[in-house]
Amino acid sequence: MQILVIEDDARVAEHIAKGLKTAGHGVALESDGRAGLLRAAADAFDLIVVDRMLPHVDGLTIVQTMRATGDTTPVLILSALGEVDERVAGLRAGGDDYLTKPFAMSELLARIDVLSRRGPAIVAETRLSVGDLEIDLLGQAVRRGGKPIDLTAREFRILAYLARNEGRVVTRSMLLEHVWDYHFDPQTNIIDQHVSRLRQKVDRGFDGTLIHTVRGTGYMMRTGG
Amino acid sequence: MNGEAGLWRSLTLRLGIIYVALFLTSTAALFGSAYWFAVYRPLQREAALVRTEIGSLQAIDRAGGRDALIRALTVRRKTGPKQPFDALLGTDGTVILSNLPSWPEDRIHGWRLLEADLYVGGQERDYEALVIETTLDDGARLIVGRDVENIDDRDELFTIGSAWLILIAALLAVGGSVAMSRAVGRRIDAVTRTARQVMAGSLTERIPLRGTGDDFDELAATLNMMLGRIEESVESVRRVSDNVAHELRTPLARLHADLDELRTAADEADRQRLADQALAEAARLQSIFDALLRIARIESGRHLAGVQPVDLSTLLADAVEFHIPDAEAHGQRIECDIAPGLVVEGDRNLLFQAVSNLLDNAIKYGGDGGAVSVRAVRTGAATEIVVADRGPGIAPPYREKVMERFFRLPETAGQPGTGLGLALVNAIVALHKGRIEIGDAAPGTRVTLTF
Repeated sequence: MQILVIEDDARVAEHIAKGLKTAGHGVALESDGRAGLLRAAADAFDLIVVDRMLPHVDGLTIVQTMRATGDTTPVLILSALGEVDERVAGLRAGGDDYLTKPFAMSELLARIDVLSRRGPAIVAETRLSVGDLEIDLLGQAVRRGGKPIDLTAREFRILAYLARNEGRVVTRSMLLEHVWDYHFDPQTNIIDQHVSRLRQKVDRGFDGTLIHTVRGTGYMMRTGG
Repeated sequence: MNGEAGLWRSLTLRLGIIYVALFLTSTAALFGSAYWFAVYRPLQREAALVRTEIGSLQAIDRAGGRDALIRALTVRRKTGPKQPFDALLGTDGTVILSNLPSWPEDRIHGWRLLEADLYVGGQERDYEALVIETTLDDGARLIVGRDVENIDDRDELFTIGSAWLILIAALLAVGGSVAMSRAVGRRIDAVTRTARQVMAGSLTERIPLRGTGDDFDELAATLNMMLGRIEESVESVRRVSDNVAHELRTPLARLHADLDELRTAADEADRQRLADQALAEAARLQSIFDALLRIARIESGRHLAGVQPVDLSTLLADAVEFHIPDAEAHGQRIECDIAPGLVVEGDRNLLFQAVSNLLDNAIKYGGDGGAVSVRAVRTGAATEIVVADRGPGIAPPYREKVMERFFRLPETAGQPGTGLGLALVNAIVALHKGRIEIGDAAPGTRVTLTF
C-alpha cells in the first residue's frame, strides 16, 4: 500500500515510516500541514496517517478539506489528545480511526490493515464464515462443523468482529472500541479473559484453532493453525 | 490605613453624609407637616372667619348705620366666638367701643397679631388677638379679631422645639454616621487584612466572625469557605505533585535501568527481556499519566459536555457482564440486585468507568472464592449504587484517604495498580454532583454511590 504520513515530529515520523516499510508499505512523509494537504490532493494514496497537531494546517482541517472535496481515502488520525470527546471530534471531522500517542507500532499496523479493508461502501453482510465456522449475523447463530455453539450477545459480537477481519490482527483496544458500547479504560486485561472464554466455546473440541493470539498485540482469526 | 482602606473610608464617609442628609430631610419634613397641621392651617381658618365677620359688620354699618353696628358688635361679644375682640374708633381717634387693651395708632394693613391680655376678676388672662382692620364709609376705624392664643402657644413651642430638634438630630446624624462608618470600616478592614495575609502566602488565615450572623458575618463566612476551598485544592495540588514526582520517578528509574542494561547485554534472550520490561514500564508510565490527566480534566469540570439521561440499569448490567470473566478467574460470583428502569443524568462513558473501577477493586481485593454484590435502587429522588465485596475491608482511618490520588493501603502494596482508580471514581462522582461513601460490609468493603 502507498501510505502518506503527515507528522511534524521528525523522530516519530521516522519511526512510523520505518515500521510501515518493514510491513511492506510504500511511505511518503510530510512534516507540515499545508504541504501534507497539497500532497494528499496531488497524489493517490491508499491511506493517510495524519497527526492532529501540525504547523500551518492542523490534522482535522486536512481531513475536513479532503472529505469536502470528495476524497474518501481512509485516514487515521494520530493525537496526543486521548479523551473521548477529542476522539469523537476526530471521527466527526471525517477520520476513519483515531489512535492516541504514544502507541505500539503493532497497534498502528493492525489498525492500518483493518482500515485498508474498508473498500468503497461495505455491503451489509448477513453471513460470515471462517473455515468450518459459520456465523449468521441476522439470526445471531453460530455453528462450527454443523454443530451449534451457544454464545452470549457479547461473545457473539467479539466473534463477528474477529471473523469480519479474518487474517488480520485485531488489537485489544480495537476490540474494546468495537464490541463494547462504552469508551473507558479497563484497569486489568479483562479483554483477554473474554476472548479466552470465547475461545473455549469456539475452538475447544474442534479440529484446528481459529482464534490465535498474536504475542504482545492481540488476536487473529484464521484457518489452519 | 491608606490606599484601598482610604478608598473604603471615603465610601463609608459618603454613606455617612447621605445618612445625615436623609435624616435631616426626613426630620424637617416631619416637622414641617406637623407645623402645617397644628399651626398654619388653624391660623388660616381663624383668619378666614375674621375676614367673613368684618365683611358682614361693614355691610351692617352701611345698611343700618352706626347704631346697628354697635348692636351687632355687642351681640357678637355675647354670642360670637370664644373670645371675640373688636375696637371701633371714630374719625378723630375717639374710642366708640373696644375690648382690646391697646391697638396701633396707625391703620393696620392686612393681618396683625396683638397682645390682648385681659383682667377678669383680678386674674390676668393671656390672649393673643388675630386682627384685621377696615375703614368704614365715614372714615371710622373698625378692628375685629379673635383669640388665637392656643395656636400661638403651639407656634412658639414649634419654634423652640425645632431648634432643639435640629440640634439633636444633627448630633445624632453625625454621631450615627461616624459610628456606622467606623463599624463598617472596621469590618471591611478585617476582610482586607485577611485577604492581604492570604495573598502573602498564609493560606490558613480566616476572617474573624462576630457571631452576630449579620450581613458582614455572612460575607466573611462565605469568603472563609472560599478560602477553605482554595486551601484544600492548593493542598491537594501540593500533595498530588509530591506523589506524582514519586510515582513517576519509580517507573522512570526502572525504564532507565532497563535501557542502560540493554546497551551492554550480550545475550539475545536478555536483550529481549530487557526491551519487554522497558516497554512495560513505559506503558505503566503512560497509564499513570493518562489517568492523572483524566482526573484533572474531570475535576476542572470541562468534561460534562456529554450529559444525557443514562439508562443506569443497562449500564450496570453491562459493567457486571464485562467483569464476569475476571470474577470467575478469581473464583468469585457477582450477585446482582439491580432495579429496572433506573435513569440518571450524566456521561455514560464516565459512569461506566466509575462502576467498572469499583467492580475491579471489589474483585481484586475481595479475596478468592468470595462474592461481589452490586445493588442499585431508587430511594426517593436519589439513585443509589452499592458495590460490596467480602474481603478484608478498609480500616476506618483509610476510608477517606483511599480516594486520594496514589494512596494505596499498606497491605496492597504488592498488587498491581496505580492507586488512581478510586480517585477517578471520586472525581467522576463529584462531577455528577453525587456522593461516594466507603463503609463496612461486615466483612468486606462497601462503596455506595448516590446520584
